[in-house]
Amino acid sequence: MIEVESLAAIRAGNRILDAITLSVAEGTVTTLVGPSGGGKSTLLRCLNGLETFAEGRVTIAGHRLSAGDHAPRALERVRRDVGMVFQGFNLFPHLSAIDNVTLAPRIVRGVPPAEARRRGLELLQRVGLSRFVEARPATLSGGQQQRVAIARSLAMEPRVMLFDEPTSALDPQMSAEVLDVIVELARGGQTMVVVTHDHGFARRAATQVVELVAGRVHRAGPAAEILAGSGH
Amino acid sequence: MTPARSGGRWRCWPAAVVWLLAAVPGAGLAAELDEVLARGELVWAADQEGGGPHVFVDPDDPTRLIGFEVELAALVAGELGVKARFQQGQWDRLPLLLGRAADCVVNGFESTPQRARDWRCSRPYFAYALQLVARRDSALDSLEALAKAGPRGPWRIGVLTGSAAEIEMRRRSDLAIEVVGYDGTVDCLEQVRGRVLDAGLMDDCIASFNADRFGELRGVGRPFAGGTYTILTAPDTPRLSAAIDEALGRLITDGRLKALYDRWDLAGRQQMLLLRDAAEVPPAPRGSLADLIRGALPLLLSSAGMTILLSVASFPVAILIGLSVAVGRLHGPAWLRPFLACYVEILRGTPLMLQLYALFFLLPKAGLALPALVAAILGLALNYSAYESEIYRAGLKAVPVGQFEAALALGMTKWQCLRHVLVPQAVRIVMPPVTSDFIALFKDTSVCSAITVIELTKRYSVLALSTGRIAELAIVTALLYLAMSWPLSLLSRWFERRLEQRCERAPG
Repeated sequence: MIEVESLAAIRAGNRILDAITLSVAEGTVTTLVGPSGGGKSTLLRCLNGLETFAEGRVTIAGHRLSAGDHAPRALERVRRDVGMVFQGFNLFPHLSAIDNVTLAPRIVRGVPPAEARRRGLELLQRVGLSRFVEARPATLSGGQQQRVAIARSLAMEPRVMLFDEPTSALDPQMSAEVLDVIVELARGGQTMVVVTHDHGFARRAATQVVELVAGRVHRAGPAAEILAGSGH
Repeated sequence: MTPARSGGRWRCWPAAVVWLLAAVPGAGLAAELDEVLARGELVWAADQEGGGPHVFVDPDDPTRLIGFEVELAALVAGELGVKARFQQGQWDRLPLLLGRAADCVVNGFESTPQRARDWRCSRPYFAYALQLVARRDSALDSLEALAKAGPRGPWRIGVLTGSAAEIEMRRRSDLAIEVVGYDGTVDCLEQVRGRVLDAGLMDDCIASFNADRFGELRGVGRPFAGGTYTILTAPDTPRLSAAIDEALGRLITDGRLKALYDRWDLAGRQQMLLLRDAAEVPPAPRGSLADLIRGALPLLLSSAGMTILLSVASFPVAILIGLSVAVGRLHGPAWLRPFLACYVEILRGTPLMLQLYALFFLLPKAGLALPALVAAILGLALNYSAYESEIYRAGLKAVPVGQFEAALALGMTKWQCLRHVLVPQAVRIVMPPVTSDFIALFKDTSVCSAITVIELTKRYSVLALSTGRIAELAIVTALLYLAMSWPLSLLSRWFERRLEQRCERAPG
């Protein structure tokens, strides 16, 4: 589903990612772990073209991204198949929860409004927010906002989901709500890549763990193997 | 508010100007004869923009003022034993300078009953009649033709605002005409030449003075509805006024005035014939305050309607253009951005007044004659679009970058991000400054009077000068402005409060 080959990214003259090669099989969960500044988020953002890279290539959900600038049309095609959930939620504050969820299906994929709404309601129910359909993001807790963001991303029916530290801005109680949703998705066979500091989540749900240190793959392998001796 | 915006406030209310002048030390002039003699100077006011042959800038030496009234003022001052000093003012407000910044006004002011009531009028020094001027190829070929509408509807006749020509035309309800007021006769002649007007009505001496410059124009019929020019002084200066009368009498009897008029090709002998026997104009009676307000209020209200129309029609256009320019500068193609930056700098860096002039007086030369109202709305819209674009640019930049990324990550195109995510949020952010800009535009509409659109301030000015009730009408006018802008201020504050509440509720 995802192949990264010899990827390198340079920012301000520094190779912040170097010689990254990894592979994610369909229906599996890969977590990217490692110390802060190790390049986890940058690598994740290279996968849907929010960041460019200098060398190597990425194949994701059947699309190919090469080094250098990407053509806008190519990126739009990639992003229709690759969803992303951000650390800061980034919900659209001027829209209600349901409108956040249905906006992209309506305008990007041309789903009729009634159909988009029906599907949106289903998704909000799935993330446990049936009571907050018309709520504005500002009136929701962080955990609720992040669950709306997950529903918003799922509404595009992505083949791959990218999570960029989805629970780092949340207290333990709210983290748990969000993690439960993500674990549930993983059990449903959703292919995903999750950047996280939470080894508990990695143990619970990850098929594969990749540890990035100083822009390089330090260790990679099955979750049980990598996390066994980590002391967490 | 942007400091550059204050360009729109040049047209302060005359009452405020008078008050300010009085408050400046040394600017106040008690204009009675003794002070003039003690000062050794007679300060006379005129408008050098008014044009020839009265007072105008020497085309061969732009630092020099010439005109028959320049010479007349010097002669009169000489008779009083003092020097003449020129004071510039806008023509229809010159009398307001009396007793403050000028001793007398010498600038083609016709003797009218209102003026005789509100100011001291000297004996006549010049006799004029009104001359109609049209294009040589115009269908308007006689004065009688004014009785019936022309091929394009009622004849559009330009006049100098506040002049006898305007009074004469507005009095003639029997004619099929539409009267358009101008601040200068040359502007009016330009518009006749450009076919915006069918004809202009002006003093015969002005028409003949400009005959060579406007070769496409010709006089229609003979001069009619004649009168005389008078030198105005302040009401409480009987001795100065008498001294000016005596001086004019000597200049008429000893032939110096005739020689002056002959030098200016103004038919000195005929002038003497008319001036020798010109009757004095009796002052008009002064009405009660209730009558004044009853008469003025409908006119002020309809002009307030024009002010609202100008604001309401131009601001949405300004916002649309401004938003497009802001989006173009932030997200448009790279080659377009410098052009948009130039657009903003040019419109923000030049006065609204000048832009209106260009639209109204210069475009007809390029073959595009816009009606005054359209030019006014377009001018306001273009000028304010520059300010709005800067506001929207700031608003778009204030939307967190994560919003753009989230929208892109959902597969939206850049334009879909803008249309559905960035612009709706920016619009909410900039609501307070945009509302306060609307109030500024609302007041800036007064500049449109420069291109013949009569809105509230202009109407006030005309009414105040024709009735002499400057303070009373200023209060009524100010109340009308406040009644219109106060609700807008409330609206602006409401937007602001709502925005603050939203920010408080939003988590860190």
